[in-house]
This record gives sequence, structure tokens and C-alpha cells, in this order.
Amino acid sequence: MALLDVQGLTKCFGGLKAVSDLSFQVNEGEILGLIGPNGAGKTTVFSLITGFIPANQGKILLEGKDIAGLKPYSIAHKGMARTFQIVKPFRKLTVLENVSLAAFLRHSARKDAEAQARRVLERVELIDKAEAYASDLTLSEQKRLEIARALATNPKVLLLDEPMGGLNPTEVDHASILVRDICKSGVTIVWVEHVLKAIMNSCHRVIVIHHGEKIADMPPEEVVTNPVVIEAYLGKKANSYKKGEPIC
Amino acid sequence: MKKTLLIIIGLIVLGIAPIVIRSPFFVHLMIMVLMWTVLGASWNILGGYAGQVSFGHATFLGAGAYTTMILYLKCGVDPWYGIFLGGLVAMVISLPIGFICFRLRGPYFSLSTLAVAEIVRLVALNWESLTAGPVGLLITTLPGVSFLGQPINWESKVPFYYIIAIITLIALIMTYIVSRTRVGAYLLALREDIDSAESIGINTVKARVVALALSAFLAGIAGGFYAMYLRYVDPDAVFSIGLSVEMLFIAIVGGLATVGGPLIGAIVLVTLGESFREHFLSGHLIFYGFFMMVAIRYMPDGVWGRLNVLFKKLRLKKDVNHGTA
Repeated sequence: MALLDVQGLTKCFGGLKAVSDLSFQVNEGEILGLIGPNGAGKTTVFSLITGFIPANQGKILLEGKDIAGLKPYSIAHKGMARTFQIVKPFRKLTVLENVSLAAFLRHSARKDAEAQARRVLERVELIDKAEAYASDLTLSEQKRLEIARALATNPKVLLLDEPMGGLNPTEVDHASILVRDICKSGVTIVWVEHVLKAIMNSCHRVIVIHHGEKIADMPPEEVVTNPVVIEAYLGKKANSYKKGEPIC
Repeated sequence: MKKTLLIIIGLIVLGIAPIVIRSPFFVHLMIMVLMWTVLGASWNILGGYAGQVSFGHATFLGAGAYTTMILYLKCGVDPWYGIFLGGLVAMVISLPIGFICFRLRGPYFSLSTLAVAEIVRLVALNWESLTAGPVGLLITTLPGVSFLGQPINWESKVPFYYIIAIITLIALIMTYIVSRTRVGAYLLALREDIDSAESIGINTVKARVVALALSAFLAGIAGGFYAMYLRYVDPDAVFSIGLSVEMLFIAIVGGLATVGGPLIGAIVLVTLGESFREHFLSGHLIFYGFFMMVAIRYMPDGVWGRLNVLFKKLRLKKDVNHGTA
């Protein structure tokens, strides 16, 4: 049984079908990449799965139990955590306080929550900044803080929404290592990303979405040569020019 | 260590102040300061910690005041239980209000609290069988109570002083507990970002309702005390927007989301308000308003926040001097 099983997920905004009849499975222990051109509906999928916006149709099974219609906080309780594409730290709180707040989900005593937070900060290499205010961090640090906060809730599935967006190549490599490391520690990851290089190097499997529909579900090395995917990204002409050539 | 010493000194001063200084005006001023501390602390829990700015807190003050008054006049309930029942009734009233207003976020929430407060004021004004409408409710005598074998003299202000001092301690201890526990941490999360708070498993509606209920409880108790102290309530005395705004000022000038802030805010604003009234007579509100502008411009973190920064600087200086010497 898949850890996360999405069946027939559909969401309309007025007349626009942002996500239509999308189904996919996430297996335990894998890193699943979710890519697609701008406006393909990737972030919407995340918001639907985590309960931030209600779906029009479809089932979302986490460990076999339907979580569609639940509020975001109860989905977090059930073991699914997300990060935000546009970082949303608790700006006027310190890094440690940010992460401790998340750790409170599994620990009711402040001391235990802080200990858990410190462990997580150690892992994402932010422990030196524990006492700094979240608003004083660089973007790369704020992205890591997002991940740390999600990790502190002790999730089974972690949904990363463009953790590499706006980072320079060195930072991207660094963050990729972190994501792989988190996966190795037993957290299943679904990863939306525009930086394709990072996805290709780290994911076990990639799903491509275009206009809210799934157009490919295959290992990363096949995705880059898949004509349908190339067409979605670069248009028809590009496909005829570069048949069989990888797009990155 | 230093902190506990300060608190103990503070408590002793609080305890002996009305015995040492016998001027009734001074005792009245102290009572007002303490009452506004409770009201500021009430607003601070919702507005300071949880970041939900309410313009309608007079609703809870009024609910407490009327509850205590009506229970005493119509059911003969001793006011000293009545005050706490007033807090509970304010809390109960806050639940449906929270249910309605918390569907809205940010400024829309604030406006809705203003609207609710006006509705409640109009209800109190027109429900004459219960509230006597604009005429108001008056009590002439308070029930006899004896303390340590001595009958308490309600004509003196001193017994009122000790009652409000106890209520103030309750309010400050409650704020301290909130600030130290998971509840307080959750409220801060709400203030910072509601979506992020939801994403890490915080039931933000429940957290806001809890903050509002605690806040309403404190305002209701202060309201009950207010009614007994003045021995009179009418809708404009306890439901006016002016009162709601005053609470907000005290919390902001004192320092948002701090335990001691409302106390500092009440000391500064109540004494300043009184002395302006004395010196400038009818124009006193102009100066009061001017002071508010200056305070908010130059001390956005409140007097308490400013003091903390100064203390930190002093301590740093001391350490540096120590190092070189």
C-alpha cells in the first residue's frame, strides 16, 4: 500500500480547472519530484493535499485513511508537513522559537520541545543561528528554517514547495544533500521544484503536471527525454528540433 | 534572583501603600491604575499575544459590570462572588462573538468587534426590563462583610484597593502562565502567521477562541469590580467605545505581549490622564492625544519594551567596563 494515495483530485477556480482528475501514489521512503511549467497547478496540489484549500472532488489517502476535507492542523497531526514556496517564518520570533513551536505538536513541555527543536536545527545546520530573529536570516537560511519547522512536527510525509527557489548553485547543491539526508532518515518526500537539476539528481521518481493534468510518471532520466514533457516545457517546435536530446 | 527580589518589593509596596499614604484621592488613583492594569492585561492577551486587535473590549467589561449588578440587585448574590460570575458570563458571551468574528482576519476582525460592541451597547440601552436602559442601575448599600472579626467599612476606599490588588495579581499571574506555556507560544504563532501556524498543527480557530475567552474573563472581572466601586452602571458608562480604545492604548503604551506592560501602561496613562485633567481642564484630551502620538512614534515597543532595551544596553556597558578594568 502506498503511503500517500491521491485519487481523482479535482479543483476548479471559477471556470478554470486548476487540477483535474489527478491521481498518483507516493511510496514509503522515496523522494517524488513534482514538476511542470509555471501555472501547472503544482502548488495548488500541495494546498489541496494539506487541506489549505478544499478539493471539489477526489480522495486523499494517507496510510489508507481518507484525509480529504480535514483542516490543515489535523493533517499535520496525522503526520504530513509542508513548507511554503514564499517563506512564511514567524518573523518576530527567534529561529529556535520558530522550530520549538512546531515541536510542541508532539511535546507538551517547553523543555522537550526545545530539545527536539535543537536536534532539528543541528540537522539543517542552523544551530548557530538559533537565537537570531527569523526576519534577519538570508533567503537560503529562511528556506532551511521552513524545512526545519516542518521536520520538527515529526512528519511521515514532507511536502517541499520549491525549497531551492532563489538559491545560488552552491546553495542548491547543499540543500539537495539535506533533502536526500532527510529521506534517508525515514521521511518520505514530495518535492515541487523548478530547479530541474536538483530534482534529476535526487528524486527516485518524477511526476510531470501540465494544465493540472498528469502527463508523465517515470524515473528522472526518462522524463528528460520524454517528448510529451519536452513539448509541455518548450512547445511543439522545440520538440521537433531536439528529438531525443535531454532538456537539461 | 534580582527579579524575585523586585517582585517581593513590589508586592510589599502594593500591600502597604494605602496604609502609608492616606489621601483618598491617592487611593482612588491607585485603584484606577490597578483596574486599568487588569483591563490592559485582558486586551494584551488577545491583542498583544495573539495579535487579534479588538476595538470592542468594552463589551466584556460591560457584561461583567451588568452581571454583577443585576445578580446583586435582583437575586441578592453577594458582589464578591458576583464579580467572578461576571467574569464567567463575559467569557460565555465571548464564545459566540468569537465564533462570528474569527471568521474574519486582520482589520476585518477588528471592525467586526467594533460592530458587535455597538450592538451590545444598543441592546443594553433598550432592554429596559433587565438593564433599566439609559437610567442605569444604582446600589446604595453594599452587603456587610467582616474581615478578621472587623466589619468592613465600604465608605472607605481602602477595602476596594485590596480587592482590585488581588484581581490584578490574578491577571498578571494568568498572563505569566500564558506566556510560559504552550498556549502562549501558540498565540504568538497566530500573531505572526496564521497559515504557518495551521501548517505546524495549531488549531488556529480554537487558539483564538481560548485567547478571547481568557481575555473576556479578565475584562468581565474588572467590569464587575468597576460596577461595585462606582455603585452605578449605565450603558454609556460601561459599553462605550472610549473604554475599548483606552484598554488598547494601555496595552500598546505599556508594551504588547509582555507580562508587566499593562501595569506600566496603566501607571503612565492613568496618572498622566488625571494630571492633564487637573492642569488643562477641558482641553486635557488634546494633550493626552498628543502624548499618545509621541509615545507610539518613539516607543513602538511600549514603555516596557524601551526599558528592556535600556537595561540591556546598561548591562552591556557594565560588562565592557568590567572587562577593561
